[in-house]
Amino acid sequence: MEKEMIYHPLFIVLLILLSFMLLICLIRAVKGPRVADRLMAVNMMGTMVMVMISILALLLKEGYLVDICLIYAMISFLAVVVISKVYIGIYEEKQHNLENGEGSDADERS
Amino acid sequence: MSAVEWIRFIAGSIFLVIGMVIFFTELFGVFHFKYVLNRMHAAAMGDTLGISSCLIGLMIFSGLNFTTMKMFLIVVFLWFASPVSSHVLSRLEAATNEHLSENCEIYEDVESLEQELAAKRERENTGEKEAYPS
Repeated sequence: MEKEMIYHPLFIVLLILLSFMLLICLIRAVKGPRVADRLMAVNMMGTMVMVMISILALLLKEGYLVDICLIYAMISFLAVVVISKVYIGIYEEKQHNLENGEGSDADERS
Repeated sequence: MSAVEWIRFIAGSIFLVIGMVIFFTELFGVFHFKYVLNRMHAAAMGDTLGISSCLIGLMIFSGLNFTTMKMFLIVVFLWFASPVSSHVLSRLEAATNEHLSENCEIYEDVESLEQELAAKRERENTGEKEAYPS
């Protein structure tokens, strides 16, 4: 009981600090002028959420939350790689259309 | 609480605080730099060093059990995944930015870069000799 009284406030303070940092990351994701900025901010948010989940696993004494954290890490990595590849593909297709002189709708989007 | 538990608490807290400081540095760098490829340098620091110090602190709290092993797996996974995702992001930036040469220097091949570096080194050497005649 005495042990919880020391660990509990530390975890709460860390969670509050991490959630403020998460909000600041979100500001970066909204402000970021380029797509790479936004993806980088999403990657940072994923890292901070992983730490939050691990802290919650010890705070609530539920060990399985760390499994969820591992899966979160994998999905966050996969999301960054897949979105980057998809965006490179879209950009190259747009360039290709512009070279062939068919890029009327692609021109409007940019 | 016994003395051993106090030592464990303090050691884990130190690691957690180091992790928080690194996350804060990451955020500061991300808002301080002006271009994505510079910001990425700051952002990749938290992915490896920040989360590994935070999780080492939590591992010390948790003791020796399966939760600790899973946290170690997360750290090892991120050591592999973070450089790969940084590389893919910088490729995205280099492939889609048409005005890349306004933000950083671009060399067409390795030889021109080597030539410029050699010329710079020579200039520095001659400058040193003039400044400090032996």
